[in-house]
Amino acid sequence: MNSNDYITFALGKGRLSSKTMELLSQIGIECEEMKDKDSRKLIFTNEEKKVRFFLSKGPDVPTYVEYGSADIGVVGRDTILEENRNVYEVLDLGFGKCRMCVCGPESARDLLRHHERIRVASKYPNIAKDYFFNRKHQTVDIIKLNGSVELGPIVQLSDVIVDIVETGSTLRENGLTVLEEICSLSARMIVNPVSMQLKNDRIKEIVEKLKGLL
Amino acid sequence: MKKDYDIALLHTPDGVRDYYNGELKLRKNIEKGISSIAESFGYDELRTPTFEFFDVFAKEIGTTPSKDLFKFFDKDNNTLVLRPDFTPSVARCAAKYFIPGDKCESPVRLYYKGSVYSHTHALMGGLEESGEIGAELIGCPDAYADGEVLALLIESLKASGLDDFRISIGHIDYFRGLCEDAGLGDTDEEHLRELISGKNTVAAGSFLSELGISEEAKEKLLRIADSFEDHGSLDKLTEKVSSEKAKAAVSGLQEVYEVLTAYGYEKYISFDLGLLSKFNYYTGIIFRAYTYGVGSPVAKGGRYDKLLGYFGKEAPAIGFAISEDTLTEALSRLSDKKEKLSEEKTVIEFDKNEKSAFADALKKAQELRGKGKKVILSEVKK
Repeated sequence: MNSNDYITFALGKGRLSSKTMELLSQIGIECEEMKDKDSRKLIFTNEEKKVRFFLSKGPDVPTYVEYGSADIGVVGRDTILEENRNVYEVLDLGFGKCRMCVCGPESARDLLRHHERIRVASKYPNIAKDYFFNRKHQTVDIIKLNGSVELGPIVQLSDVIVDIVETGSTLRENGLTVLEEICSLSARMIVNPVSMQLKNDRIKEIVEKLKGLL
Repeated sequence: MKKDYDIALLHTPDGVRDYYNGELKLRKNIEKGISSIAESFGYDELRTPTFEFFDVFAKEIGTTPSKDLFKFFDKDNNTLVLRPDFTPSVARCAAKYFIPGDKCESPVRLYYKGSVYSHTHALMGGLEESGEIGAELIGCPDAYADGEVLALLIESLKASGLDDFRISIGHIDYFRGLCEDAGLGDTDEEHLRELISGKNTVAAGSFLSELGISEEAKEKLLRIADSFEDHGSLDKLTEKVSSEKAKAAVSGLQEVYEVLTAYGYEKYISFDLGLLSKFNYYTGIIFRAYTYGVGSPVAKGGRYDKLLGYFGKEAPAIGFAISEDTLTEALSRLSDKKEKLSEEKTVIEFDKNEKSAFADALKKAQELRGKGKKVILSEVKK
């Protein structure tokens, strides 16, 4: 099998991938193999349309695309910003909308007005660092956490957190609130720069058709 | 064997690696092929030092950002830098030794090969020391020079065994012209360049809206991101824009195309006006070579008419650099190329207990070596 004949998609596992497949089926790209929930296959092929799909952890999607293992990837903008890979970001798919925010107890609001050193816990150390260093010009200590970041201010590990906010209910239940908004997020389509050149016709067709839908 | 050594001694640091056997042969072969092509175009080889003063690669020069450079100090506390890119070194060297007056009167043709160094971010898998082979043509401002350098690149890639590749050409003035028309300042232009070169039309769109640029100008700027054109559609581009600079850029591309047609290389060429470089020193055409099987370009280059000015000489110039590592990777995926490189070695054995056995074996070995065979002389195994 020559991978040059196929367009390979890397999709972030979970809601993102099912939403993407829904969207792609509307432009006539489907993959029967993927609908079989019991399948243990890692890569799914549609021979007729010459497309292949694989699922991976969100943060790995830009990596697969940068190295050209996948031509196209679909992943949240948070991951793209955090990973900062050399890929083309061509399309806002419009779903998975949320915001990247600085959150903490109301009492921490004052800490963000000064340039004093504070501690910031986040799953997104690069985004947090870029925001505080380059946009707010505030020196901060960044602590990388891997989940339940809301705990940070509660157990006094950090003063504030930088995290994704969808509805804000988890924050409210834990006595935290959005203090500042860093940027808005949604699912994006990314493309490998070499594929963009060498498979331009097919990729452009997909992008244009999707643009028409959105 | 008793383990009385530190096993960590066997490791190389992140970002550097050993080259050996078939892969090294392939690299040597690539170097040989490209060198002979460059020589046949009348280019002379140049060697510049591995490290230079920081100022040669400083921000004004427009090469790799300072934070990605390998820096250290000499005994007088000057900051030194391992070269991240050959072009500034070659420009410095050419200004010093090849251009006697203030102006370049007769063209200088140089090629080089060696390692370049820059920090890649942790665990990104990129190499911090990587091989480059490139050429620079200094002192010619016209499309014939652009065409010559592109033809040299095409022949170099062909000589190394790559057949299926494409060269994408853009022109920095197309983007700059449209930015000027839209009234963008330098900082905004740089930010937009980053977004457009990442084909990030979403962010570019909202950035331009924030700046309050007219819808018409915004549309034109955003369209740059996917201006993949073939030769036929280039004409239409000039009709769409009013900027004189942008128009000149397009007709510049057309002239280059005509020169390449004379070489017979038009089939390798496509145009991408959204192709912009992170190197700030480019002033004219910018190009990249792409091939299947690798995720990054095999070669990059462009015209830099102002760079020599930093070294006190007025000289337009153009050049390219081929990434040896990417090219080797692409070639090693074409399996038939690998087999061609494995050559037979003859082993001649001798028994050291036998009288005159060594002298006989040596005579035979030297005779074969004289005929160009690869001969290993070794003691017979008991």
